[in-house]
Amino acid sequence: MNEDNLYIERFLNGENSAFEALVRKYQNRVLNIVYSLIGKDRESEDIVQDVFLKVYHGLESFNGRSRFSTWLYRITVNTTYDFLRRRRRFISDELTIEKTASGYGGPQEELLEKEKQELLKKALGNVPLKYKAALVLRDIEGLDYATIAQVLHCRLGTVESRIYRGRQILKQELFRWRGEAL
Amino acid sequence: MNRCKRVKRLLSRYLDQEVNDKEVIFVREHLAGCPFCSEEYAGLLRIKRLFAAKERKALPADYLVSRLRDRIAASRQEEERFSLVSGMARLSLRLIPVPVTVIAISLLFMALTLQQRASEFSIEEHILSGDPTTIETAARVILQRAN
Repeated sequence: MNEDNLYIERFLNGENSAFEALVRKYQNRVLNIVYSLIGKDRESEDIVQDVFLKVYHGLESFNGRSRFSTWLYRITVNTTYDFLRRRRRFISDELTIEKTASGYGGPQEELLEKEKQELLKKALGNVPLKYKAALVLRDIEGLDYATIAQVLHCRLGTVESRIYRGRQILKQELFRWRGEAL
Repeated sequence: MNRCKRVKRLLSRYLDQEVNDKEVIFVREHLAGCPFCSEEYAGLLRIKRLFAAKERKALPADYLVSRLRDRIAASRQEEERFSLVSGMARLSLRLIPVPVTVIAISLLFMALTLQQRASEFSIEEHILSGDPTTIETAARVILQRAN
Protein backbone atom coordinates (compact mmCIF):
# COMPACT_ATOMS: atom_id res chain seq x y z
CA MET A 1 0.00 0.00 0.00
CA ASN A 2 1.46 3.38 -0.94
CA GLU A 3 1.89 6.31 1.42
CA ASP A 4 -1.21 8.17 0.20
CA ASN A 5 -3.44 5.16 0.69
CA LEU A 6 -2.11 4.75 4.21
CA TYR A 7 -2.95 8.37 4.97
CA ILE A 8 -6.42 7.87 3.53
CA GLU A 9 -7.01 4.75 5.59
CA ARG A 10 -5.87 6.52 8.75
CA PHE A 11 -8.08 9.50 7.96
CA LEU A 12 -11.09 7.26 7.40
CA ASN A 13 -10.37 5.72 10.81
CA GLY A 14 -10.82 9.14 12.35
CA GLU A 15 -7.29 10.49 12.30
CA ASN A 16 -7.54 14.06 11.04
CA SER A 17 -3.78 14.54 11.12
CA ALA A 18 -3.50 12.04 8.24
CA PHE A 19 -5.62 14.32 6.09
CA GLU A 20 -3.42 17.24 7.07
CA ALA A 21 -0.37 15.25 6.01
CA LEU A 22 -1.95 14.79 2.58
CA VAL A 23 -2.61 18.53 2.42
CA ARG A 24 0.98 19.35 3.29
CA LYS A 25 2.26 16.89 0.74
CA TYR A 26 0.18 18.14 -2.18
CA GLN A 27 -0.66 21.77 -1.41
CA ASN A 28 2.10 23.31 -3.52
CA ARG A 29 1.56 20.99 -6.46
CA VAL A 30 -2.13 21.86 -6.50
CA LEU A 31 -1.32 25.54 -6.06
CA ASN A 32 1.06 25.55 -9.02
CA ILE A 33 -1.43 23.84 -11.30
CA VAL A 34 -4.19 26.27 -10.32
CA TYR A 35 -1.91 29.28 -10.54
CA SER A 36 -0.67 28.27 -13.99
CA LEU A 37 -4.25 27.95 -15.17
CA ILE A 38 -5.66 31.19 -13.78
CA GLY A 39 -2.63 33.36 -13.09
CA LYS A 40 -3.83 35.06 -9.91
CA ASP A 41 -2.53 34.55 -6.41
CA ARG A 42 -5.45 35.15 -4.08
CA GLU A 43 -7.96 33.31 -6.23
CA SER A 44 -5.51 30.44 -6.60
CA GLU A 45 -5.28 30.09 -2.83
CA ASP A 46 -9.06 30.11 -2.50
CA ILE A 47 -9.37 27.45 -5.17
CA VAL A 48 -6.73 25.32 -3.46
CA GLN A 49 -8.75 25.52 -0.26
CA ASP A 50 -11.91 24.52 -2.13
CA VAL A 51 -10.07 21.60 -3.71
CA PHE A 52 -8.93 20.23 -0.34
CA LEU A 53 -12.35 20.77 1.20
CA LYS A 54 -13.82 18.68 -1.61
CA VAL A 55 -11.17 16.07 -0.94
CA TYR A 56 -12.00 16.13 2.78
CA HIS A 57 -15.69 15.57 2.15
CA GLY A 58 -15.13 13.16 -0.73
CA LEU A 59 -12.43 10.87 0.64
CA GLU A 60 -15.02 8.41 1.91
CA SER A 61 -16.21 7.89 -1.65
CA PHE A 62 -12.70 7.65 -3.11
CA ASN A 63 -12.67 4.12 -4.49
CA GLY A 64 -8.91 3.77 -4.98
CA ARG A 65 -9.23 2.57 -8.59
CA SER A 66 -6.97 5.40 -9.69
CA ARG A 67 -4.10 6.86 -7.72
CA PHE A 68 -5.00 9.46 -5.12
CA SER A 69 -2.90 12.08 -6.93
CA THR A 70 -4.80 11.48 -10.19
CA TRP A 71 -8.09 11.90 -8.34
CA LEU A 72 -6.79 15.02 -6.63
CA TYR A 73 -5.61 16.56 -9.92
CA ARG A 74 -8.97 15.84 -11.49
CA ILE A 75 -10.70 17.67 -8.64
CA THR A 76 -8.16 20.49 -9.04
CA VAL A 77 -8.78 20.92 -12.76
CA ASN A 78 -12.55 20.67 -12.40
CA THR A 79 -12.65 23.15 -9.53
CA THR A 80 -10.53 25.57 -11.56
CA TYR A 81 -12.78 25.10 -14.60
CA ASP A 82 -15.82 25.85 -12.41
CA PHE A 83 -14.14 28.97 -11.10
CA LEU A 84 -13.28 30.18 -14.59
CA ARG A 85 -16.75 29.37 -15.83
CA ARG A 86 -18.12 31.56 -13.06
CA ARG A 87 -15.67 34.31 -13.78
CA ARG A 88 -15.93 33.96 -17.56
CA ARG A 89 -12.65 35.64 -18.12
CA PHE A 90 -9.01 34.91 -17.96
CA ILE A 91 -6.62 36.67 -15.70
CA SER A 92 -3.05 37.22 -16.60
CA ASP A 93 -1.84 40.48 -15.19
CA GLU A 94 -0.83 40.22 -11.60
CA LEU A 95 2.56 40.10 -10.03
CA THR A 96 3.49 37.07 -8.03
CA ILE A 97 3.57 36.77 -4.24
CA GLU A 98 6.15 34.22 -3.38
CA LYS A 99 8.90 32.77 -5.44
CA THR A 100 10.66 29.59 -4.53
CA ALA A 101 12.49 28.62 -7.66
CA SER A 102 15.34 31.03 -8.07
CA GLY A 103 19.08 30.60 -8.30
CA TYR A 104 19.75 32.27 -11.61
CA GLY A 105 23.15 33.80 -12.27
CA GLY A 106 23.92 37.53 -12.18
CA PRO A 107 21.42 40.40 -11.92
CA GLN A 108 21.24 40.89 -15.68
CA GLU A 109 20.61 37.23 -16.25
CA GLU A 110 18.00 37.28 -13.50
CA LEU A 111 16.26 40.24 -15.14
CA LEU A 112 16.18 38.42 -18.45
CA GLU A 113 14.75 35.37 -16.73
CA LYS A 114 12.12 37.48 -14.99
CA GLU A 115 11.22 39.07 -18.28
CA LYS A 116 10.87 35.64 -19.84
CA GLN A 117 8.64 34.50 -17.00
CA GLU A 118 6.43 37.55 -17.37
CA LEU A 119 6.17 36.86 -21.08
CA LEU A 120 5.34 33.25 -20.43
CA LYS A 121 2.62 34.31 -18.03
CA LYS A 122 1.10 36.72 -20.53
CA ALA A 123 1.34 34.22 -23.35
CA LEU A 124 -0.20 31.47 -21.21
CA GLY A 125 -3.14 33.75 -20.53
CA ASN A 126 -4.01 33.56 -24.21
CA VAL A 127 -3.78 29.79 -24.60
CA PRO A 128 -7.25 28.21 -24.56
CA LEU A 129 -7.93 26.40 -21.31
CA LYS A 130 -8.19 22.87 -22.71
CA TYR A 131 -4.71 23.10 -24.24
CA LYS A 132 -3.30 24.93 -21.26
CA ALA A 133 -4.56 22.31 -18.81
CA ALA A 134 -2.84 19.49 -20.71
CA LEU A 135 0.33 21.53 -21.05
CA VAL A 136 0.45 22.50 -17.39
CA LEU A 137 -0.09 18.93 -16.21
CA ARG A 138 2.72 17.80 -18.50
CA ASP A 139 5.30 20.54 -18.09
CA ILE A 140 4.58 21.86 -14.60
CA GLU A 141 3.52 18.68 -12.85
CA GLY A 142 5.44 16.27 -15.09
CA LEU A 143 2.59 13.80 -15.52
CA ASP A 144 2.75 11.25 -18.31
CA TYR A 145 0.20 11.31 -21.13
CA ALA A 146 -1.78 8.35 -19.78
CA THR A 147 -2.27 10.03 -16.39
CA ILE A 148 -3.20 13.32 -18.04
CA ALA A 149 -5.83 11.44 -20.05
CA GLN A 150 -7.25 10.11 -16.78
CA VAL A 151 -7.20 13.53 -15.12
CA LEU A 152 -8.80 15.32 -18.05
CA HIS A 153 -11.11 12.41 -18.76
CA CYS A 154 -10.20 12.18 -22.44
CA ARG A 155 -8.38 9.86 -24.83
CA LEU A 156 -4.63 9.55 -25.10
CA GLY A 157 -4.70 10.88 -28.67
CA THR A 158 -6.58 13.94 -27.45
CA VAL A 159 -3.90 14.59 -24.84
CA GLU A 160 -1.20 14.33 -27.49
CA SER A 161 -2.89 16.78 -29.80
CA ARG A 162 -3.76 19.20 -26.99
CA ILE A 163 -0.17 19.33 -25.79
CA TYR A 164 1.15 19.74 -29.31
CA ARG A 165 -1.42 22.40 -30.16
CA GLY A 166 -0.87 24.14 -26.82
CA ARG A 167 2.85 24.41 -27.48
CA GLN A 168 2.25 25.75 -30.98
CA ILE A 169 -0.12 28.44 -29.65
CA LEU A 170 2.27 29.29 -26.85
CA LYS A 171 5.11 29.66 -29.33
CA GLN A 172 3.02 31.98 -31.49
CA GLU A 173 1.93 34.00 -28.46
CA LEU A 174 5.48 34.37 -27.20
CA PHE A 175 6.56 35.45 -30.64
CA ARG A 176 3.73 37.98 -30.75
CA TRP A 177 4.66 39.47 -27.36
CA ARG A 178 8.36 39.55 -27.90
CA GLY A 179 8.61 39.70 -31.68
CA GLU A 180 11.30 37.04 -31.75
CA ALA A 181 11.75 33.52 -30.58
CA LEU A 182 12.91 33.18 -26.99
CA MET B 1 8.02 16.48 -47.25
CA ASN B 2 5.77 13.66 -46.22
CA ARG B 3 8.39 12.67 -43.66
CA CYS B 4 8.45 16.22 -42.28
CA LYS B 5 4.71 16.05 -41.75
CA ARG B 6 5.05 12.75 -39.90
CA VAL B 7 7.93 14.01 -37.78
CA LYS B 8 6.12 17.22 -36.86
CA ARG B 9 3.25 15.13 -35.56
CA LEU B 10 5.70 13.15 -33.44
CA LEU B 11 7.89 16.01 -32.20
CA SER B 12 5.87 16.96 -29.13
CA ARG B 13 5.67 13.33 -28.03
CA TYR B 14 9.36 12.86 -28.79
CA LEU B 15 10.12 15.83 -26.58
CA ASP B 16 8.09 14.28 -23.77
CA GLN B 17 9.63 10.83 -24.26
CA GLU B 18 6.27 9.39 -25.14
CA VAL B 19 7.39 7.65 -28.33
CA ASN B 20 8.52 4.08 -28.87
CA ASP B 21 12.07 3.03 -29.85
CA LYS B 22 11.23 2.84 -33.56
CA GLU B 23 9.80 6.34 -33.52
CA VAL B 24 12.84 7.66 -31.62
CA ILE B 25 15.17 6.40 -34.34
CA PHE B 26 12.92 7.72 -37.08
CA VAL B 27 12.74 11.22 -35.55
CA ARG B 28 16.44 11.38 -34.70
CA GLU B 29 17.51 10.40 -38.20
CA HIS B 30 15.15 12.89 -39.74
CA LEU B 31 16.19 15.77 -37.47
CA ALA B 32 19.83 15.15 -38.32
CA GLY B 33 19.17 15.89 -41.96
CA CYS B 34 16.26 18.36 -41.94
CA PRO B 35 16.92 21.98 -40.88
CA PHE B 36 13.19 22.90 -40.94
CA CYS B 37 12.15 20.15 -38.54
CA SER B 38 15.27 20.80 -36.44
CA GLU B 39 14.19 24.43 -36.09
CA GLU B 40 10.67 23.34 -35.17
CA TYR B 41 12.09 20.97 -32.58
CA ALA B 42 14.38 23.65 -31.15
CA GLY B 43 11.37 25.98 -30.77
CA LEU B 44 9.36 23.34 -28.90
CA LEU B 45 12.36 22.56 -26.72
CA ARG B 46 12.71 26.24 -25.77
CA ILE B 47 9.05 26.34 -24.75
CA LYS B 48 9.46 23.23 -22.64
CA ARG B 49 12.58 24.62 -20.95
CA LEU B 50 10.85 27.90 -20.30
CA PHE B 51 8.05 25.99 -18.60
CA ALA B 52 10.51 23.92 -16.62
CA ALA B 53 12.09 27.13 -15.33
CA LYS B 54 8.70 28.61 -14.53
CA GLU B 55 8.57 29.94 -11.01
CA ARG B 56 7.01 27.57 -8.51
CA LYS B 57 4.81 28.94 -5.83
CA ALA B 58 4.79 27.69 -2.28
CA LEU B 59 2.47 28.19 0.64
CA PRO B 60 3.89 28.49 4.17
CA ALA B 61 3.97 25.02 5.74
CA ASP B 62 0.88 25.15 7.98
CA TYR B 63 -0.94 28.04 6.38
CA LEU B 64 -3.37 25.96 4.35
CA VAL B 65 -3.87 23.37 7.08
CA SER B 66 -4.94 26.02 9.59
CA ARG B 67 -7.24 27.70 7.07
CA LEU B 68 -8.79 24.33 6.28
CA ARG B 69 -9.25 23.54 9.97
CA ASP B 70 -11.27 26.76 10.31
CA ARG B 71 -13.37 26.06 7.26
CA ILE B 72 -14.01 22.45 8.24
CA ALA B 73 -15.05 23.54 11.74
CA ALA B 74 -17.34 26.19 10.23
CA SER B 75 -18.89 23.69 7.84
CA ARG B 76 -19.41 21.23 10.70
CA GLN B 77 -21.20 23.90 12.73
CA GLU B 78 -23.29 24.71 9.69
CA GLU B 79 -24.11 21.03 9.23
CA GLU B 80 -25.06 20.70 12.91
CA ARG B 81 -27.25 23.78 12.73
CA PHE B 82 -28.85 22.49 9.58
CA SER B 83 -29.41 19.05 11.09
CA LEU B 84 -30.94 20.66 14.20
CA VAL B 85 -33.30 22.77 12.09
CA SER B 86 -34.17 19.90 9.80
CA GLY B 87 -34.62 17.63 12.85
CA MET B 88 -37.03 20.11 14.38
CA ALA B 89 -38.84 20.39 11.06
CA ARG B 90 -39.13 16.60 10.87
CA LEU B 91 -40.40 16.46 14.45
CA SER B 92 -42.94 19.19 13.71
CA LEU B 93 -44.14 17.30 10.67
CA ARG B 94 -44.57 14.18 12.78
CA LEU B 95 -46.45 16.08 15.49
CA ILE B 96 -48.83 17.87 13.11
CA PRO B 97 -51.47 15.07 13.20
CA VAL B 98 -51.89 15.54 16.99
CA PRO B 99 -53.23 19.15 16.99
CA VAL B 100 -55.15 18.46 13.78
CA THR B 101 -56.95 15.53 15.44
CA VAL B 102 -57.66 17.56 18.59
CA ILE B 103 -59.09 20.44 16.54
CA ALA B 104 -61.18 18.06 14.42
CA ILE B 105 -62.60 16.34 17.51
CA SER B 106 -63.34 19.73 19.13
CA LEU B 107 -65.13 20.97 16.03
CA LEU B 108 -67.17 17.80 15.81
CA PHE B 109 -68.09 18.08 19.47
CA MET B 110 -69.12 21.73 19.08
CA ALA B 111 -71.17 20.93 16.00
CA LEU B 112 -72.99 18.12 17.79
CA THR B 113 -73.64 20.30 20.86
CA LEU B 114 -74.96 23.14 18.75
CA GLN B 115 -77.14 20.78 16.80
CA GLN B 116 -78.60 19.35 20.01
CA ARG B 117 -79.23 22.79 21.47
CA ALA B 118 -80.71 23.98 18.22
CA SER B 119 -83.26 21.22 18.33
CA GLU B 120 -84.38 22.48 21.76
CA PHE B 121 -84.46 26.07 20.61
CA SER B 122 -87.50 27.96 19.44
CA ILE B 123 -87.05 31.24 17.61
CA GLU B 124 -90.51 32.41 18.65
CA GLU B 125 -89.71 31.86 22.37
CA HIS B 126 -86.47 33.73 21.92
CA ILE B 127 -88.21 36.74 20.37
CA LEU B 128 -90.84 36.75 23.15
CA SER B 129 -88.17 36.44 25.90
CA GLY B 130 -86.52 39.70 24.80
CA ASP B 131 -83.01 38.22 25.30
CA PRO B 132 -80.22 39.78 23.18
CA THR B 133 -79.35 37.86 19.94
CA THR B 134 -75.85 36.45 20.26
CA ILE B 135 -73.68 34.56 17.77
CA GLU B 136 -74.72 31.36 19.48
CA THR B 137 -78.41 32.25 18.95
CA ALA B 138 -77.78 33.00 15.27
CA ALA B 139 -75.92 29.67 14.85
CA ARG B 140 -78.87 27.84 16.44
CA VAL B 141 -81.29 29.53 14.04
CA ILE B 142 -79.12 28.58 11.04
CA LEU B 143 -78.79 24.96 12.19
CA GLN B 144 -82.50 24.73 12.89
CA ARG B 145 -83.28 26.02 9.38
CA ALA B 146 -80.78 23.58 7.94
CA ASN B 147 -82.51 20.70 9.72
